[in-house]
Parts: sequence; structure tokens; C-alpha cells
Amino acid sequence: KTWCMCSDYCTEVGILMHLWHLSSKGEHINSFLFYTKQSCAEVFPYPEVGNEEAEEIQQLVAPVEKFFAEEVDSARIDQEAKIPPETMNGLKELGLFGMQVPEEYGGLGLSNTVYARLAEITALDGSIAVTLAAHQAIGLKGILIAGNEAQKNKYLPKLASGEHIAAFCLTEPGSGSDAASIQTRATLSEDGTHYLINGSKIWISNGATADIMTVFARTEVVKDGVKADKISAFIVERAFGGVSSGKPEDKLGIRGSNTCEVAFDNVPVPVENVIGEVGGGFKVAMNILNSGRFSMGSSSAGMIKKLIELTSEYAATRKQFNRSLSEFGMIQEKFALMAVNAFVMESMAYLTAGMMDRPGLPDCSVEAAIVKIFSSEGGWICVSEALQVLGGLGYTKNYPFERYVRDCRILPIFEGTNEILRMYIALTGMQHAGKILTGKIKELKKGNIGVAFGMAGKRLKSAFGSSVDFGLTGKDGVVHPSLEESAKKFEQNVAFFGTTVESLLYRYGKSMVDEQLILKRVADVLINLYAMTAVLSRSSRSISIGARNHDHEVLLANTFCSDAYFKNNYLMTQLQKHSPENNDANIKKIAKEVLENRAYICSHPLERTF
Amino acid sequence: MKCVRCLLQLQSLRLLGQSTRCSAQYSSLLPSASSQPGLPHSTQQQVSRSFHSSSACSKSRPVPTDFLKDQDGKKDKSLVVQKDLFEEVAKDIKTKATFNKVVEVFTKRDVRRRGHVEFIYAALKKMPEFGVERDITVYNKLLDVFPKEVFVPRNFIQRMFNHYPRQQECGVQVLEQMENYGITPNVETKVLLVQIFGDRSHPMKKYQRIMYWFPRFKHTNPFPVPRQLPEDPVDLARFSLTRIANDLDAKVTVYQVPFTDVSESGEDITCPHIVGIQSPSQMELLAQHNPSRPVFVEGPFPLWLRNTCVYYYVLRADPTPEEKKEEPYDPERCFDYPLQLDIDLERDLGDDEEFDVEDLDEGPVYAMCMSGQGDQATLNQWISGLQQTNPILGQVPTLFRLDSGPRDLQGPAETESGPRHQTDTETHNQSREEVQDEEAEEPRRTQGMKQ
Repeated sequence: KTWCMCSDYCTEVGILMHLWHLSSKGEHINSFLFYTKQSCAEVFPYPEVGNEEAEEIQQLVAPVEKFFAEEVDSARIDQEAKIPPETMNGLKELGLFGMQVPEEYGGLGLSNTVYARLAEITALDGSIAVTLAAHQAIGLKGILIAGNEAQKNKYLPKLASGEHIAAFCLTEPGSGSDAASIQTRATLSEDGTHYLINGSKIWISNGATADIMTVFARTEVVKDGVKADKISAFIVERAFGGVSSGKPEDKLGIRGSNTCEVAFDNVPVPVENVIGEVGGGFKVAMNILNSGRFSMGSSSAGMIKKLIELTSEYAATRKQFNRSLSEFGMIQEKFALMAVNAFVMESMAYLTAGMMDRPGLPDCSVEAAIVKIFSSEGGWICVSEALQVLGGLGYTKNYPFERYVRDCRILPIFEGTNEILRMYIALTGMQHAGKILTGKIKELKKGNIGVAFGMAGKRLKSAFGSSVDFGLTGKDGVVHPSLEESAKKFEQNVAFFGTTVESLLYRYGKSMVDEQLILKRVADVLINLYAMTAVLSRSSRSISIGARNHDHEVLLANTFCSDAYFKNNYLMTQLQKHSPENNDANIKKIAKEVLENRAYICSHPLERTF
Repeated sequence: MKCVRCLLQLQSLRLLGQSTRCSAQYSSLLPSASSQPGLPHSTQQQVSRSFHSSSACSKSRPVPTDFLKDQDGKKDKSLVVQKDLFEEVAKDIKTKATFNKVVEVFTKRDVRRRGHVEFIYAALKKMPEFGVERDITVYNKLLDVFPKEVFVPRNFIQRMFNHYPRQQECGVQVLEQMENYGITPNVETKVLLVQIFGDRSHPMKKYQRIMYWFPRFKHTNPFPVPRQLPEDPVDLARFSLTRIANDLDAKVTVYQVPFTDVSESGEDITCPHIVGIQSPSQMELLAQHNPSRPVFVEGPFPLWLRNTCVYYYVLRADPTPEEKKEEPYDPERCFDYPLQLDIDLERDLGDDEEFDVEDLDEGPVYAMCMSGQGDQATLNQWISGLQQTNPILGQVPTLFRLDSGPRDLQGPAETESGPRHQTDTETHNQSREEVQDEEAEEPRRTQGMKQ
């Protein structure tokens, strides 16, 4: 395919789309929206799987679906807070413990796309999904992406078969995202053959069941003659001795998954069990965390699709005033919401997975974070709306909805809280925009008339209603004409966002890091834009290939895009200086006054002063 | 000033027996404020303000009575009589009950309540003596002395003129004293005022003004001091220290509970209380303190809680001369997002909302304490107590810079602020003695630890 690149398109969008993450480390540019000739091809057309792979998926999906429908008793898992051994064995037999482990190590060797597809099904039981994710999305990922051949040969086969369970041990009582406050320490023994690990880790999924753990600990590294403490990653076997796990946490949701504290008391770990280099643990941790998130989109989508089935049956049969619930507008709205959300999540999840499957190990960490935020928050809303359809029934344990609500609540929390991921998305975007725009803004600040006039002219032009055209639509456009409206809205948002980011950089410069409320909005706009891109791309493809019910997809895509368009415009208006919609100063002040007193400080409305 | 003079003039003239004409001249303007908008504005205000301006009134108040005494010895006998009544009825016990009794005696003595104005003035003066100056019921009882409905204007002419000015003045004075003591009138007060003076009278207006402002001012102080301070010195110290520290994390430690004991040789040993406060952030600061630089125990510093003065001591250090080193940016600090942006752009001037604050050279305060005794031995005990949670104090030289301040701490309420202030300034003028025997300090402190 050829992509028409008019000059405007290249400058405007090019600048803006730099906002998305691209690997600054290498020359490989992999941003999904960095619309150069190559990377436009990353989002348009929507990534596809080959025929062979499609068949493979068919073969894999059917037994797993059957297993989850017949063998998994989620209510019992939730009640007993334990996954029964026969269920575990079934999962192992299906190979679900080694989905992404290459075939030469006994795994299924699935691509990210297929992995995401299976995650849709495993997500039907939150406890199983979390147990599996803790095992392979983070637990053994370290060995998989940074381990050497010997380590892979030694550990992966047993992990892939599920004979050994893996866990990821990073969080400590005093350390969440802060690497500097990690207290667990690994000291090299005198003979230099092994490290002794001391410390304790908390909230470790699979903590009590894991045989192999990826543990991060502080090590002393001498660099340029200076001693420094650096984080290193270790493969720790429970069999090494000295590993003890605490009482399982009694959790709100995902009760069947095991979460507990793990303590390390002089655990001897041979030096060959260091993952990567000594002192290189930070990168390993970051890579594992970044790569583990993308599947949450498809998981949530899978869950919502299931919920739609469950609730629509009820809505169709329950009658009030001689009309079934499904005839009431407010109930219909809930189903539309669930459908749109599931559609957007799916689109984003498989777009991201497809991009990750491209050769060259592309870094899609920002996209994965976007998917994680959107799907966790959308999932929460959908689950709660589904419960609402059933009203009081949904609130009882007779129906699975309350369990879904409880299970779902963990999504915005784990794998990096949504707040932290928003920071990541916005700051990474700002960093790239800053790289491109710094020169221009400096000129502007110096009072360069030419640049100022150029910008003013552009603003004036857009104020007089000259339409923004990045060439997504029209002749040689990548978006199908039935989505033209939505594509135009997307383009307008993008153009507005470009100027917004520019003015933000002008106003805050590098002090932006401390402007969390602003960064939150920037992240929200980026999330919406990525979601818009994903649905545009997906439904364009569906129309073009004549997928089943593609008209419904167009409907969903257009609905979502016009909704997101308004949300974006509102957010970006808030980002403008002196915007009356922007309540930030008040919000900060309220919080300050409340937090100073650590209480709600208003006097009670029934109180009297005389 | 004008209105004060005006008021004085008004009263004296009247009392001298020439009142009719003059008071008519002035007071004719008074009640008309609302009903006659055509009058010249300035005069209207001038006269009516004599009732509005509370402080002026209160200052001018004693003058007319004195004046009265000088001018007309016979008439002011009533005043003497009222005072005598208080002395008579409540000879030695001055309580609320006796005060009420006096009032009752007065009201029962004469149906016409002759001399009630003088009686009320006298009673107002006596109130603090009887300790009832903050009791709303007593004020209401006092207002109840006024005969009812007599002073309520019955027609428009009376309403226009200042009807029974002396009685109204007196009523205002009662409210005035309530105001000065911060007592909010209640509904009973209002009912009484309406019964006595009518609903457009000056006391009523005074009442309304008080009711307008008092509720609004009730919570203006974000750090209110309770009327009743804790009696126990330890509790008082705890209260005062949390008040100074204003940190919800700060922890109060009682290092020593006060007790008296008799030693073997038969001497009385009094151990003063030692109560200290320290917040986690102060502990952190202290832990970072450079051990080669000394820390100081300074004090006593006064803290006023209403009319009680307590004294506290601080453990502090000199301001560090070297600039604080900023922690270098570690790109491997946060697992999830970059903590710094690598952009060569500063915050725009238009968005820089920070104030330019001049740095004051004030050293960090690490802890505070209050003690029953301000001598070095006692404070040393505090430091050794602190050392248990702040081990660095074992290495840091501790210097005592104590003023020989007042020893009788918690000399409660009775002491007026005036003289105490004076002693404070005196002690501050005395040269500070610096005790610098660290060598001698160490063993003593460890002794203290052993105890």
C-alpha cells in the first residue's frame, strides 16, 4: 500500500505523533502513531494474523473454552479462596502455564496476539487469570527476555509445563515504584560463588506456591572505582532454602489467587542465577513490567462479552409493566455502553498485540499502558452496570456479578496503578514532544517575530475554520468513507492536541513533572486518541474485508469517536490557560486544607453558633 | 471622639438639671434615623453613633458617675448604698449564689425598684469579683431588675425622642459588658430587652449588633485555647507542646512524672515533670545533623495561653552554612515513569507563581520540651531521654544556653501580664551563660540513662 503524505500531514502530525513513545535507545522507531511512512503502516491497516495462525487459534481456543465452561467452578474458587488441584492440573495439561515460552523449551510459543486471545478466556475467572499472569506475564518473563541460554534451559521447561510455578518479587513494605527504597540485599559470599539474599517482599502473587522466583535485590557494584548500590535480578529457587512465605492475604477479590509476603533469610543464590548483568536489575524489572500489561485489554473485553451474555438474558426475560427490561431506554444504554467498551478494548488490545508481534521486538510500553488504563477503568464501569441491570439480584451471591465486581477492582491497582501509568504515558509523550519543540519554543520566548507570526497565522487559520486534513480520509485515505466523520473528528482532536502540548511546554517546561493534574489530562487525551485510532483502523479493515456484522462495528466506532471527541475537547479546553473549566487551583486547595487537618473540616449542618 | 464628647455633654447637662432643653435638642435627631430620611446626614450620624460606638461608650462610662458624685453628693448616695448592699449581703463568700441573692434582695426591697440603674452599674462592676462575669444567666437576671414595660415608648413622639435615655444607656452598658467578656446573649436576653425597652430601642439595637457579629466571629481563631486549661502540669505541657508543634505526627513523651519523695537524710526531693515533643521529620533532621557541630538547648521561651504563661525549651542547631546538596537525579529510581523530563525549557515567567521568599538564617529545631524546672540537670534528663530514640545525640556535643528565667513555672492565672513581661525582659537582658563542659556532660548523661 502507499500512503499519501502531504507536507502538512508530515509536520503537524509528525510533531504531535512524536508524543508517543518511540525507543529513544535505538534507531528503531516504533511509535504506532508516529506517522512517517513506515509507522503509519503500523496502525493502518489493522494487524492481521495469518491463516495458519488463525487455524492454530481455533485449535487452542476450543478446548480452553470447554475447560472453563465445564471444569472451572468460579464460585467455589472464590468461596474457598483456593484453586482446586484438579483445576490446576487441567490448566497445566492445556499448556496454559507456558503460553509464551518458546516451543524448544516446552512451551506453546504463542505470539502476543494469540496470548491475548487466550487471555480473553482465562479472564472468565479472575483468580485463575491472575495466577497465570503472575506466573508467566511477570514471574518467568525475566528468564524469558533477559535470561541466558543456560538459565532458559534449566528453568523454562519445568515452568512451561506448570511443574514449577513462578512468582515476581519486587514490591516491598517500603517500596512500590521507588527503586531507591528497596531494602532486600544480596551480598556476595567470600568465595564469590553465590549471593546471600536477605529481606522481605510483600503482595507476591503465587508467593506461597511458587518454586521459582524472580527476586530483585540491592547489590554493591563498583563502577569507575566508585562503589554504588544497584538493583539486580536473581532467579531464586525455593529449594535453595531460607525462603519462607507468610499467611495468604484475605482479599476483596481474586480470592482464589495466592498473595502473601515472602521472606528471604540468607538465601544462597549461585552467581549464575543473576538475570542479565549484576546491577542491571532495574532495566529487567522495567521491561518485565512494561511487557506484562498489554493482555489486560483482551481480558477485560472477554469478561465484558461474557457479562453481556449473562445480563441480556435477564433483561430480555424480566418483565415490568408488561414490557421486558430490554425495552427501557436506561437499560438499553447500559448494554450499548458495555458493547462499545468491549469493542474499544478489543480493538486496542489486538492492535497493540499485533504491533508487538512485528519483528524486531518493538517497544510498545506506552501503548500497553494505555490499554491497561482504558480496560481496567472501562471494565470496572461495565461490571458495575451489568450488576445494576439485575438490581438486587446482582448484589447477591446467587449470581456471579458481585464476584466480577470484586475481582475487577484489582485491575486499576496492580501491574502499576493507573495513576502511575498515566504519569508514564504523559511524561513519555511530553519528553518526545519536548525534544522536537524545544527549539521552536525557545525562539518564541526570545521574541522571534517570524516564529510567532507563523504560529499566530496557523491559529488564525484554524480559527477561521480551515479544516484539518492529515489525509486519513479521501482519495488514498486509510480510513473507510463510512468512518469519515469520525476520522475528521480524530484529526481535529490531534491538531488541537498539538497546539495544546505546545502551549503546555511553553508554560511549564521541565517543571511539568510536578503538574500531575495537567499530566493526567494529557494522558487521558492520549488514551482517547489511541482508542480512536484503534477503532478506526479495526472497523476500516472489517468493512474492507467484509467481516460479519461490520455495520455494527461502524456504528460502535462512530459512537465511540464522537463521544471521545467531546471528552477530548473538554479536556483540552481545561488545559488552556485561565480556562474557566479548569478547577485545578481549587482542587489543590481543598485537598490541602483537608489533608492538613486529616479530616473533613466543615462544621456539621446541624451545628449552631448561637 | 466627637460622639464621646457629645454623649458626655448630653449626660452632664441633663444631670445638672438643665437637661430638658438640651437633650431635646440632641435627642430629637436620634430615633428619627429611619423614619426621617430628609434630615442632614452628618448630624444624624453624629448623635446616633454615641450609641453605636461601643468602646467609646465604655471608656466614657465611669466619668458621668464620678461627675455625678462631685456635683451632687446627695444624689449619688444611692451608688454607695448599692455597693454597700453587695458588701452587706455577701460579706466574705463571693459566689454566684450570693450575687444572685444580692440581686434578689434588691428587687424585693422596693416595688418601684428605686435606684435600679445605679444598682445595675454597681453590680456590673462587682461581677468579676464574684466570678460571674461570664455567666449569661446572671446578666439576664441583672436585666430582669429593670421594671418591665415602663420604658417602652407608647407613641410616635416618644419613639422619636430618646425615651428614658439613662435606662437605655444602662441597658446598653449591660450588653456592652457581655460583649467585652465575649458572652453571646440568648433568647431570654432578647425577650427581656423587648419587654423592658421595646423592639426599636438602643439596647435592642446593641443586642442585634452583637448577634450579628458574635456568631460570625465565633470560629475565627483556628487554634482556640480552651477556657479551662488542664490543671495537671503534665497535661498542660502536653497541650501546650502539641499546640506549638502543630504537627499531627509529633509524638509527646513524658520523660518524667512529677513526684515528691523524702530522701534518706530526710530532705524533700522534688522531681519536676519533663514532657517533650518530637515529630518524625524532626527525628529525621536530627539524624542528618553533622555530629561535629553542636546542638543547643535553649530557653525558656514563654507561651501564653489566655492569661497563663508557660515556658518551653527547644533543642536546636545553628543554621547550616553549607548549601543543602540536592540529590542527584537517578534515572534508575522509578520503575514506572521518568521522574524528570529532559527538556531544556524552564517554567514560563507568567506561570511562575512562587513567591520570592528571603531565606532566614534560622537553625532547625529538633525537639521541644516543658519542664517543672529549668535547670541544666533537669534538661539533661530530657536530652538523655531523647537519646534513646535519637542515638546521634550521643555523639553530638550538647550546649546549654539557658536564661535564668522564672523558676515558678505555671504560676497560673493570677499573674497579670504586665509584671511578668517585665521580668521576662529583665532576664533576657542578663548575659547568656554558655555552659560548654561537654566532657563533664557525657558521664552525667549516661548516668541519667542508667537511672
